[in-house]
Amino acid sequence: MSQTTVPTVQPAAAVATPRAKTAGSYGDRRDPPLKTAVIHATLLLAALIAILPVLRVFSVSVRPNDRLLSRNLNIFPEEATLASYGHVLFETDFPQWLFNSLLITVGTSLVGLIFAATSAYGFSRFKFPGRGVGLTALLATQLIPATMLLVPIFILAIQLDLIGTYRGLVIAYSVTSVPFSIWILKGYYDTVPIELEEAARIDGCSQLEAFVRVLLPLSTPALAIVFLFNFLAAWNEFVLARVLIGSQTDLFTWPLGILRFQAQFQTQWGDLAAASVLVSIPIVALFLYSSKWLINGVTLGGVKG
Amino acid sequence: MDVDRSVAALSEVIFTLAVFAVGVAILEGVLYLVLVRWLKARLALPILLIAPAFIGLTALIFYPLLWELNVSFTNMNLSRLCDPGIPAGIFTECRGQNMFIGLENYINVFTRPVLQAAGFFQIFWQTILWTAINVFFHVGLGLGLALLLNRHLRLKGVYRALIVLPWAIPQIVSLAIWRTELNSEFGMVNQLLALVGVDGPTWMTDPFWNFFAMIMVNVWLGVPFMMVILLGGLQSIPTDLYEAAEIDGASSRQSFRFITLPLLRPVMVPAVILGTVWTFNNFNVPFVINQLELETSDTLVTGLFRAAFQYNRYGFAGAYAFVIFAILLVFVIFYVRRSGALRGADE
Amino acid sequence: MTRKFHHLLPILVVGSLILGACSGGEIGADDSEEPTPTDGGDESAAPTTAAFPEGDFELELWTKEGDPQIAYVEALAEAYSAERPNVTISVINKDVELLREDLVNTALSPEAAPELVWTVADHIGPFTSAGVIQELDGQIDTSIYEAGALSAVQVDGTTWGIPISNGNQLMLYWNKSLAGEEAPADTDELIATAQENTEGDNFGLVFNETESFWLTPWLAGFDTAVFAEDGTTPTLDTPEMQAALEFLYDLKYTEEVMPGECAYDCANELFLTGSAAMIVNGDWELGNYAGELGDDLGVGPLPTVSSTGSDPAPYTAGAFYMVPSAIEGDMLTVVLDFMAWSTNAENQIQMVEELRRLPANAEALEDPIVTDDPLLAGAAEAVQKGTPQPTNVEMRCVFDAMNTGIRDVLGAGNDDFAAVTAAMQEAADNCVATL
Repeated sequence: MSQTTVPTVQPAAAVATPRAKTAGSYGDRRDPPLKTAVIHATLLLAALIAILPVLRVFSVSVRPNDRLLSRNLNIFPEEATLASYGHVLFETDFPQWLFNSLLITVGTSLVGLIFAATSAYGFSRFKFPGRGVGLTALLATQLIPATMLLVPIFILAIQLDLIGTYRGLVIAYSVTSVPFSIWILKGYYDTVPIELEEAARIDGCSQLEAFVRVLLPLSTPALAIVFLFNFLAAWNEFVLARVLIGSQTDLFTWPLGILRFQAQFQTQWGDLAAASVLVSIPIVALFLYSSKWLINGVTLGGVKG
Repeated sequence: MDVDRSVAALSEVIFTLAVFAVGVAILEGVLYLVLVRWLKARLALPILLIAPAFIGLTALIFYPLLWELNVSFTNMNLSRLCDPGIPAGIFTECRGQNMFIGLENYINVFTRPVLQAAGFFQIFWQTILWTAINVFFHVGLGLGLALLLNRHLRLKGVYRALIVLPWAIPQIVSLAIWRTELNSEFGMVNQLLALVGVDGPTWMTDPFWNFFAMIMVNVWLGVPFMMVILLGGLQSIPTDLYEAAEIDGASSRQSFRFITLPLLRPVMVPAVILGTVWTFNNFNVPFVINQLELETSDTLVTGLFRAAFQYNRYGFAGAYAFVIFAILLVFVIFYVRRSGALRGADE
Repeated sequence: MTRKFHHLLPILVVGSLILGACSGGEIGADDSEEPTPTDGGDESAAPTTAAFPEGDFELELWTKEGDPQIAYVEALAEAYSAERPNVTISVINKDVELLREDLVNTALSPEAAPELVWTVADHIGPFTSAGVIQELDGQIDTSIYEAGALSAVQVDGTTWGIPISNGNQLMLYWNKSLAGEEAPADTDELIATAQENTEGDNFGLVFNETESFWLTPWLAGFDTAVFAEDGTTPTLDTPEMQAALEFLYDLKYTEEVMPGECAYDCANELFLTGSAAMIVNGDWELGNYAGELGDDLGVGPLPTVSSTGSDPAPYTAGAFYMVPSAIEGDMLTVVLDFMAWSTNAENQIQMVEELRRLPANAEALEDPIVTDDPLLAGAAEAVQKGTPQPTNVEMRCVFDAMNTGIRDVLGAGNDDFAAVTAAMQEAADNCVATL
């Protein structure tokens, strides 16, 4: 297995090599105070730009009435209230929508992961006719504008009577993440020495057992990253959901629910903002918690070898 | 939360996944019998491994693509709303009207207005502008921030966490925010500008400022991703290289030029390809920020959406979609050849 | 009219088969009152009994009415079932855009169609193009409906629907504490009153200046219309159209009585907070404004255009029943019976009480409940000056083309009106050619 630049759409994850461990922040010397101050100021400005719009949503969510449009820049408005949160949590279907989203997202991320893990093994460890074509085709699917497939998928779903059910959505989410996942996992498998599996086979494992018992456990970090990517993609997805769930409010996922707050002729700003804050908190937490993995996942593959 | 509904949702998802599992099991069983028992094929295992994903992708991506290709040769629209099926030539009638029109749609893409007045080339040019400016700022600002964060610095983690926020927040939420904050009477952006004595532009109606706003929002959204990737790349560059360079008397600029940039390249190239494709295909930002549907702010994909869904010109939209796809394909092939980024795909 | 469309977060509509046209402004019109069931027990309100089909019938009714108005629709359905125990009607709310898409898509899967829809008139264009609704001529007695309301669902002499409510028209609302008791009689007075009330962050007149729906009433005021005699050929490039655009341009840039860039929410907010003395907006906001402003609210038709002496004519629409193509036989009999029963005078008066909408039933329109209410009477006066909104598919092209024009004039401040109308005409023609 040659160690050329890894063929990455999403650059693949790699085993942390000893070399990567010695890598680190460059410039171990301290910068002069003035320079440090300028750096801090720049980063502070960047951070401010990043969070200002977010603070505004928070501010709208605690405003006492339904007025978003107000010429007031205070983050904490006078008479701040949590009434919108109470309303969203106890008087709307929002908790139901969150539950639906969680259900679909976890289910489909797992299924997608299983499909990708096995297929990637096929692509990584076997040479067969059509392998290059297959990999290229997988890559090409990433170029397709999503809108292009919307009409056919919609009409297909009408004909199969999948509109207004979870069946269509579950199938779609499980499958659409697969090409991406295959590339990440194949890139990772490629970096695991095949000798490990060969040793297992000498010990009497079948090839499939070697895959399950040796390669999969070694690939846990990559599998986790793929799961996370799939999870985030499905969690935030709403285009297909809009098409496939239609007007069945019982089945709404949270993005459709949030949009419903806005779809009324007059936007329910308080509900919208409160729901946005509620749904963002766990995702941001997950993101920050896993960001080290994500960095490794999307970068290390590109620099090994 | 309603218990009955939750149980119903749960059971439907579980049922679907169970049907999935049974389907896969049957498929694998049949393939096993045919390939292993009957044909004793040498490559039985990889086929068994790949088959489920292959069938899923065929149904969800390749079949729809074929369908779309077929539709692109018909004049399917609101008053001819019939499924032309596959292949064209068999089902070419819709309620007595002929649907097959050959290459007419492909000619119209280049010769007729795509939407109201703007033609293909105008929209294509806007898309190139949109993509190039965005990717430039994503990489430029992302690299700048990554370099700043790749130092010994207090509060580094805090800065990074805050700057990553635009990427972490669900896009549907952040776009809803921006849309409101760009309101020229009540939005935060113009109010902040007013504080420093600037009369804020009319973001919705002025073509230039609307395009500007689209780019501004997308830069805000896209920089964190690029920063995180490039930061990862920077961190994997061994420090001893810099130490050696310093001993050899290299300036920090030279270190950047001859160590950082070349070693960052393997990370940068795929990231730039990805970033370009994603920006080119970005639908949400241009669609949401351009709420008045100014044609001067349309990109190829928002044009595609409007042609198909607002104007119900399914046939035309099909042809138009394949033209867009071809453009992307040419770009990627060209870029990949030039950079060699995808060597190894067929090893 | 794409009014509503811009209040959806557009990404929502990815995958929705948007025509760009829509209506359904009534949503949110009146959320103060929770509709209660009609009492359908009265003898005179009972359905006709002649040869009513036997056996069980289950009807699905798609309605654009959401919370809280849907409660009225559900109550109607239940009251009918009480009269006709062999009929059950399930009421399903679909957002107005979605209802249109879903019904259009039944062209591909007819079995998914409901038995009856309750929606806006301008859906007739797409529905008839896609062939998903049926003609109702000779199937139902149309003489009980107010002629204007009925004509909104008649195309070339064919009746495609039955009116439920009448309205959707743009009117002038004014804040009496700012603009005085009486409505301005003509546009000169309108401008004078507006100027008195414009200072700093306060504006004399506001309206959604980004949508062509707000341009359409003025066309009659300048003696023109969007279509030629044939009703389908766009006539946008005319001196009268230029005069109408110039009038709006002057309001903003010469008289300077309007804010800088103001779409629907902004205009609404300014009026509700007392920062705007007058607003041009639809009847669907009547309940909302009356609730906020109380006795300070004045309602009436748009003022006469001083330079021409003509009255503006807002487009009128409302809510309508339409019957999907596939409904036939006994089921059709049941559906028609329900439509007639639910729009009789008694039920219509009930509707006025609960939804504060003008009825389509001519008898109900004369009832004191309408004539004695100053706000409803003002609305009735405005609707009588209106003209039915064209419902053909070409109308969408015209709305879109005029959107570009009004945004160019009011948004970008383009005062080359001849160039604007020429561009509008070209865009509309291009669009019509692709239909």
